[in-house]
Amino acid sequence: MEKTQEIAKKEEKNIEKTHGLYEAIPAVDIYENEDEILLYADMPGVVKNDISVNIDNGTLSVSGIRKLVTKGAATDTEFTDVEYARSFSVPQAIDIERVEAELKNGVLRLHLPKSEASKPRQVEIKTS
Amino acid sequence: MFTRLSDIDRLFRTMSLFQKRLDNLYSDYGKSSGYKWEFEQTSPRTNLYENGDSFEIRAEVSGFAKEDLNIKIQGNYLEISGSRESDAPEGYRTHKIEREAGSFSRSFTLPADVDSSKVEATLKDGILYLILPKHEAVKPKKISIS
Repeated sequence: MEKTQEIAKKEEKNIEKTHGLYEAIPAVDIYENEDEILLYADMPGVVKNDISVNIDNGTLSVSGIRKLVTKGAATDTEFTDVEYARSFSVPQAIDIERVEAELKNGVLRLHLPKSEASKPRQVEIKTS
Repeated sequence: MFTRLSDIDRLFRTMSLFQKRLDNLYSDYGKSSGYKWEFEQTSPRTNLYENGDSFEIRAEVSGFAKEDLNIKIQGNYLEISGSRESDAPEGYRTHKIEREAGSFSRSFTLPADVDSSKVEATLKDGILYLILPKHEAVKPKKISIS
C-alpha cells in the first residue's frame, strides 16, 4: 500500500519537470541601408506569442519556441518542438525605442532603425 | 550515363538516411554530425503521422506563400514542390544570407493509398499541414462477430 503511494507522489513531482527543448539556430539574413538594419529569421511553426526579442547592452537576442500539437502515431519525424535562439551584437547606434518586429509565414522580420545622430550626413562646403 | 548518376544519387541518399539515424541517436537538433555526405539539400524537413483513417504530413516551409507551393498526389505517391524567391529588400546592402532561395521538390511513397479528392492542405506559420485520408479500401474496418 505504501509503495503505491510513493509512486503516485513521484508522478506528481514529474509534472513540474519540464521537458528539455532542443535548441536550434535559426537561419538569418541581415541587410542594411542608411536608415536601418533589417534582420530576417526563419522560424517555422512559431506563433507570435512565443517569440521574444530582447535588446540589452548591445546584444540583441531573439528566441522563439515552437509547440506542435501532434495527433496520431509519428511514423517518420524530422523535426520536433524546438527553441530557436540566436543572439547578435548590435551597434550602439540603434534606436531601441523604434525597433519593429513582424511575423509572416514563419519568418520573423526585425527592423532596427538607426538613430538620427548616427546617420551619415553630407557636410556642405560653404564658399566664401 | 544518366542511370549511373542516379545510382550515385541513390547511394548518397542511403548514406544520408544512415546519417539521419545516427543524428537521432545523438540528440543535437538540426545539427549534422560530422561530415556531410548528402549534396547540399534545401528541401524542407517533414514529419509523417498516421491516424487510424488518415495520414498527416507536416513540412517546414517558412517564407513560402500559398502560391509558391505545389502538391501532387497519385495513389500513394505524393510530391511537394515549391520555389521561394529571394525576399531581399531593394536598396539594402547584404551582410549575411543564410536563408536560401530557390526551388525544392520532395516526393514520398505513403504506406497506403490515399483518397486524393479529400486531401486538405493548410499553411500556417510557415508549416504546411497536409491531411490525407486513406482510401476506402485500405481504411481499418470493424468486423462484427456474428
